[in-house]
Amino acid sequence: MKSSSASMIIALSVTAVVVGGLLAGFYHLVHPRIEENRIAEERMAIFAVLQGAENYDIIEKEIAGARGKKEAVRIFKGIDKEGKTVGYAFIAEGPGFQGVIKMMVGLNIGSKKLSGMNVLEQVETPGLGNKITEERFTSQFKNLSIEPKIEYIKNKKPEKPNQIQAITGATISSKAVVNGVNNRMKLILDILSPKMKIKEG
Amino acid sequence: MKIILIFISAALINNFVLAYFLGLCPFLGVSKRSDTALNMGLATTFVTTLTAVITWLINRYLLERYNLLFLQNVTFILAIAALVQLVEMFIKKTSIALYRSLGIYLPLITTNCIVLGLALFAVIREYTFIESVFFGAGAGVGFTIALVIMSGIREELEFADVPEVLRGAPITLLLAGMLALAFMGFAGLLSV
Amino acid sequence: MAPSQKTYFEEFKKGILHENPVAVMLLGICSSLAVTNTVKNSLAMGLAVVFVTVASSALVSLVRKFVPGEVRIATYIVIISGFVTLADLFFKAFFPGISKTLGPYVPLIVVNCIIMARAEVHASKYPVISSIADAVGMGVGYTWVLLAVGTVREILGFGSIFGFTILSEKVFNPWIVMILPPGAFITLGLLIGLINYIKSRKHRISL
Repeated sequence: MKSSSASMIIALSVTAVVVGGLLAGFYHLVHPRIEENRIAEERMAIFAVLQGAENYDIIEKEIAGARGKKEAVRIFKGIDKEGKTVGYAFIAEGPGFQGVIKMMVGLNIGSKKLSGMNVLEQVETPGLGNKITEERFTSQFKNLSIEPKIEYIKNKKPEKPNQIQAITGATISSKAVVNGVNNRMKLILDILSPKMKIKEG
Repeated sequence: MKIILIFISAALINNFVLAYFLGLCPFLGVSKRSDTALNMGLATTFVTTLTAVITWLINRYLLERYNLLFLQNVTFILAIAALVQLVEMFIKKTSIALYRSLGIYLPLITTNCIVLGLALFAVIREYTFIESVFFGAGAGVGFTIALVIMSGIREELEFADVPEVLRGAPITLLLAGMLALAFMGFAGLLSV
Repeated sequence: MAPSQKTYFEEFKKGILHENPVAVMLLGICSSLAVTNTVKNSLAMGLAVVFVTVASSALVSLVRKFVPGEVRIATYIVIISGFVTLADLFFKAFFPGISKTLGPYVPLIVVNCIIMARAEVHASKYPVISSIADAVGMGVGYTWVLLAVGTVREILGFGSIFGFTILSEKVFNPWIVMILPPGAFITLGLLIGLINYIKSRKHRISL
């Protein structure tokens, strides 16, 4: 017995509406919680790269991003309990081996040094690329000079104040972190202090 | 060029079957003979490329615009199901022989994790339209390559003395493991 | 008219070994390999699949008399993807760490053939309680296979179980390959071989 078109359409539409409604409802229920999680994680990362910060302000600037979409760039100004600025943090991205690596970077603008790097998101190879999340790698970014830009060196201890040692066997992941920071750095410095320039290249 | 890199990455370096574990159901089922494997692979590649197009459009002009991102799963899979239906009708009209040789596996492309998988990955990685298309094509090609290699090996295996408990799925999986190991050698093929 | 009458327990039991969705019916292999690099991930995925399978089978069974045959696959798709999205949102809200690790594999539960197969083969033909029993059995069968693979991979690949180190790096140098794709394929292949062996022995004993 073939069903009428009407009954087919009704059955499908009712199902779609009920399921859609259920989803919309649940989404609005948990959405605030999901946002909270995101902010909590961001907070933790900011405090990890800006030592001494007790709170932070957000500086937001809209720029024309890649692909014509407008992008809102956020810089987090860390402040200590006296309200003094301890540094600036921003999010940088770099193309890793398996996917995009997202990191929170801390900058001390006066000394032109980084105050830390914390990996937010990565899907690198376990045991190799994902060693970028380990202290041994991330601690290299404390007090790292950003002039002219940060570099990585392979198989040797860093020789210059702006160098870090790449992870053996995970050059691509290490390089992604370094490139991600450098690529974003120029924009951040432009926003924070238009008079400051770093060498091109 | 970035899109070439995306294509080769999806096809070889991060092969959807051997690195991301997607597309395994048909992989285990269809990979017994090389010619069906190739046909299946090409049909799937056609679907993956079109899926990349459609899901990108749905995401940009429907979901993002009206803040309906939580409907992504539902809309994507419905779009894929509809697309596969259309492809099926198209093949039936143009080549009855191809239609028959693919048989039940054609509608099964809908549940091939690769198709939904690449749609989701493309969105996560925020690819542009062109990048998504190349990504989709690469995924399909990679699937085809893995499928054809596997079918070649399994055809040879017909003449080998495989222990009874390992016949069928187990030996295929073990072979896939070795193939995956081999494909890991592609890492670093292109410097980023 | 339901073709065969099994007890609820029998409906549940068949998914554990004899009609195990992963090892015997070879469904849901994609996720069985992708998320089994640790026990915690295997458990999370297993529970998610149990939830989606039970919820979907229950709903499909409830509406089975109202859905015309021609559109049944489409309705299954809508129902299943709806529950998968619910599970995904749930993880994102209450277990963000797990949501990050499992990543896109949670939405991919939609194309996990197990759920679609149960909806079509069972839930569309049998009453609700029977469908739920079937779904739970299949879900549990799926979960234990994932846990088995996950345990092997985590012990050999990280030296831990559920995050607790049991073989420290001093005693045992982890086999990184177990965490990577090849290790997954090999472990699952051997496990299915083992299950085939157990089944054939049981069959021989009962003869």
